[in-house]
Amino acid sequence: MTDRMKDREIADLDGAAALPRRNGELVFQAPWEGRAFGMAVVLNEKGEYPWDDFRASLIGAIRTGGPEYYENWLNALQSLLERTGLVTADEVALRASEYQALQRDPVF
Amino acid sequence: MNGVHDMGGMHGFGPVVVEKDEPVFHSRWEATVRALMTLALRRYFNLDEFRHAIERMPAGDYLRASYYEKWLHAVETLLLEKRVITPQELTAGRASSPPAQPTASHAERPPLRALFKVGDRVVTRNLNPTGHTRLPRYARGREGVVRTVNGPFLLPDTNAHGGGPDWEACYAVEFTAGELWGAAEFESDTVCIDLWESYLIGEENT
Amino acid sequence: MNDAHDDHDHNHNHDHGDGHHPEAPNAVEARALALESLLLEKGVLTSEEIDRVVSYYEHDTGPMIGAQVVARAWTDPDYRRRLLEDAPGALKELGFENAARTELVVLENRPGVHNMVVCTLCSCYPWAVLGLPPTWYKSAPYRSRAVSEPRKVLSEFGCELPEDVKVNVWDSSSDLRYMVLPERPAGTDGWSEQQLTALVTRDSMIGVARPQVPTSSPA
Repeated sequence: MTDRMKDREIADLDGAAALPRRNGELVFQAPWEGRAFGMAVVLNEKGEYPWDDFRASLIGAIRTGGPEYYENWLNALQSLLERTGLVTADEVALRASEYQALQRDPVF
Repeated sequence: MNGVHDMGGMHGFGPVVVEKDEPVFHSRWEATVRALMTLALRRYFNLDEFRHAIERMPAGDYLRASYYEKWLHAVETLLLEKRVITPQELTAGRASSPPAQPTASHAERPPLRALFKVGDRVVTRNLNPTGHTRLPRYARGREGVVRTVNGPFLLPDTNAHGGGPDWEACYAVEFTAGELWGAAEFESDTVCIDLWESYLIGEENT
Repeated sequence: MNDAHDDHDHNHNHDHGDGHHPEAPNAVEARALALESLLLEKGVLTSEEIDRVVSYYEHDTGPMIGAQVVARAWTDPDYRRRLLEDAPGALKELGFENAARTELVVLENRPGVHNMVVCTLCSCYPWAVLGLPPTWYKSAPYRSRAVSEPRKVLSEFGCELPEDVKVNVWDSSSDLRYMVLPERPAGTDGWSEQQLTALVTRDSMIGVARPQVPTSSPA
């Protein structure tokens, strides 16, 4: 997939799902936000899911979630990956608790 | 053509409205149109043909249409005119014939040959062509000074109509606000416009 | 967002950075870490692939290219000179090969001279360095008025210019694309290029605004 087509699909997110921008620029407030963004894009590029599926998941997560855009983004990504069977909720929860307990070195 | 697209100096459009934190595209079809245009440009039509297809929209439609509606109109118009698609296919939304071969040709750019130099005083011609031109109405028959010499670029007036290739020097010509608008509030303010050589007359010839 | 703190390397959890967390990540961050590490382990993607995407969207598209060019010109007088003489060459120097294919001309704002860009006939815009144009740039009010009453338009954008500042409007009608090099704001001595980049707004490179220093001082 060319960068231009990818730009188009990402730019396609509109309404509440529109990416946070300042001055036309994507804004990540912390590295994990960028990582969550990047993961969703790369997995779509690799054919794990069509972009429309991710967008539907994101819109659902925004509808039920809080005000933090990338928290909703991450929720959307995780639930989509659970549905496609790439990860399970349990293994993510276990791994996350290990990170919080400082039992693992960060990957980013 | 003296169309409604030639907006410089027109009155009555109101203040500039700025949308806060505007998304790049407002909806999916806008992005699709942009992608379509990018793919078809230089294969089936050139930028001047594209611009002129927008200018040919009925004035009321032009003013009502959003930016990407204009683009969609132009892409449809040109693909139909150049027989890349048929009206039947457009209505059906399905192809009933094999894809057309690209038609646009690519001209090699020659070296720059310029009649005017930086600092020359020039006067714009008072042209009112019915076809495409990039000499705006507000700058016709006005005197200015050449600020930079650029190009050569293809003359839009012929390039939009299957003519040429006419490579011409293109000049950034500076006009004072007083020259363009009469008693402008700040006469020393300027407007610089990129103008092709055949739009200009040297001052000694006027 | 009006602070100068959020440069792209900013992360309050990593300030003492040796690559390890001095404090525990919060729940969301931990979950992002968990997801990425699991996907890496499963061989679904690599860290580099994510880096590439993030870096592309953070640095290689949109007004960020113009902003980086401006910040470099503010800090390096030789680069500034090269940028004004040959903008495509100057873009290449910073690795912006794609943007360098545009016939870009950079217009220098300086004391007493303010440049502003419009396209009255359609909507020509230096998208290679500024991304896609905002709707107002393509609107009839801007296209009709920018050439005939630029000061009124500027004041609607909150940019009031004193009478002794000359306004040069550039009506992009040819293959050339224009971008404004705004003046570096006062009070930014000693700022890093990265801090300065964050100050450069898209509107300031179209020439309808001037970069502002946020009232809170940078970290």
